[in-house]
Amino acid sequence: MLLVRDWMAREVVTVEPETTAAEALALCRKHSIRHLPVLEGGRLIGLISDRNLRSATPALGDPSRAEALQRIRVGDEMIRDVTTARPEDPVEDVAAAMYERKIGCLPVIEGDSLVGIVTSSDVMKALARLVGVHEPGSRLEVALSDRPGSLAGIAEITRDAGVNIVSVLVAPGPDSAGQHIAVLRLATIDPGEIVAKLGEAGYSVLWPPETRLGEGRP
Amino acid sequence: MSGRAVFVHDAEMEEYGFGSDHPFNPIRLRMTIELCESLGLLKESQFVSPKPATDEDLRTVHYSSYVRRVQMAGHGEGDLEELAKYGLGTQDNPIFPDIHRACAHVVGGTLWAARLVTNGEAEHAMCISGGLHHAMRGRASGFCIYNDAGVAIARLKEEHPGIKVAYVDTDVHHGDGVQWMFYDDPEVLTVSMHESGRHLFPGTGDVKENGQREGHGYSVNLPLQPFTQDDSFIKSFEAVVPEVLRAFGPDLILSQNGCDGHTLDPLAHLSATTRVYEHVPRRVHELAHELCGGRWVATGGGGYDIWRVVPRAWTALWAAVSHQEMPEEMPEDWLSKWSQDSPVDLPLFTRDDADDYPPIKRAAEIEERNRRTVEDLLAKVLPLIG
Repeated sequence: MLLVRDWMAREVVTVEPETTAAEALALCRKHSIRHLPVLEGGRLIGLISDRNLRSATPALGDPSRAEALQRIRVGDEMIRDVTTARPEDPVEDVAAAMYERKIGCLPVIEGDSLVGIVTSSDVMKALARLVGVHEPGSRLEVALSDRPGSLAGIAEITRDAGVNIVSVLVAPGPDSAGQHIAVLRLATIDPGEIVAKLGEAGYSVLWPPETRLGEGRP
Repeated sequence: MSGRAVFVHDAEMEEYGFGSDHPFNPIRLRMTIELCESLGLLKESQFVSPKPATDEDLRTVHYSSYVRRVQMAGHGEGDLEELAKYGLGTQDNPIFPDIHRACAHVVGGTLWAARLVTNGEAEHAMCISGGLHHAMRGRASGFCIYNDAGVAIARLKEEHPGIKVAYVDTDVHHGDGVQWMFYDDPEVLTVSMHESGRHLFPGTGDVKENGQREGHGYSVNLPLQPFTQDDSFIKSFEAVVPEVLRAFGPDLILSQNGCDGHTLDPLAHLSATTRVYEHVPRRVHELAHELCGGRWVATGGGGYDIWRVVPRAWTALWAAVSHQEMPEEMPEDWLSKWSQDSPVDLPLFTRDDADDYPPIKRAAEIEERNRRTVEDLLAKVLPLIG
């Protein structure tokens, strides 16, 4: 699910080294994009962004701007050492590359051909999907001790309560001591019974607070 | 202010429930009605018996495949695994005999109330068993099988083309089902105030959910911080609801009056008291008179402290709908009858005492965060409505 191929754009607008800066900028505007892979004979040889082009041309209002936009070619300004991704790469690797190298976009290559492009907003979308809400459910946050079966114990308790788990995220807790925190979304409006059972089983439930179970009910 | 108020209800609607060990228990309706009667607020002549919703009514918003599944489930037919895909037979929405019939009655009640108000036979109408706001087009969710408000609004739109309906939902849970049904419709403004979906079922209802296409701006969500108390709840309500309703200019207001934001409610984490549940209907009433000739339909909704909270909160609702003052003291006959079954001590007064609910330590921080949410929300939606 979290692979580049699931999140990349497959329709890629490309240019050639001989494309003028004016044409390239017009393409960016037309498609509301900021990066254009540069192909030569079908092979990726560089990447050009609207920022590269703007910094290479005189500012708006400068009389020499129009001439420069026609004169400058994409091949003069493109980045040649392009970081690329493969369709089967995990999205988190792409996120790390973007973060470490301060880049906003990676062309996706399969064999010799360009098959897509993945941008930081695609990565954000994948992340939002991971933590997002796609089915009605209740949030449950539980501290996990560092021993086998800790997560399984939660799953057993929810199963015994007849409740589906919609999603699970597990991440190291703020204290380093090997503790993890599991964030689950449960397909129920009333997780009270599960919270109580988790408490009985020795789990520390961080959310929701334990309600007055049974009280106020017939 | 003196038009006719009706209480749309009959015994059939009290069949909608999932058994005595389930939090959604229709005994809360009985307790409320008897409290209203005992306080002298509800008379025989104010009751109106509705017709159940027809399959055609239900199909205005629900898929026919789903309606068929609910009917089968109620007759003990259908494969359980298959039904579970429709949210039926889960922990939240257990199947019970004649589930379709019972829920069609509830939908019929809200629909009937909406028609009486729209055609002028009543000024305000209340359907206390309504408010099943989580039901989706093709799926049961959160104790809700069919979406009564959704059906009523869809039918009104067919019967009165161009009618503008404002749906105001102050249940502690986001009014997701109704929101998604009218998410691209600029003639239906949905406003939901609820405990933030980050902390509570169903998880949606973020400020950013504003509607789409022509309906962009016509879904309004005000998520509140857990443990929000009366002052901040009322302040937030006042900052948002009158403004967006005025900008919209409804022909009718339909309110969902779940009372599960009360601090005693076992399913959620807001800290409101009866003050909120008296304030909200009185203000919705005033807005109905200010904006749409008084046309107001009120439904119930969630509320799971059925002994101490629901009867009093919905009696306050009926008092507002029927232009009456709610007496201070709980009636003795009611107390002596229900205290026999109640596992908790029943309150002796119709209103909570503010001294019992002082501000919590984090009140200022919670209020500040709610204030910022309100600001963010108004900046997003106000320019889009109208």
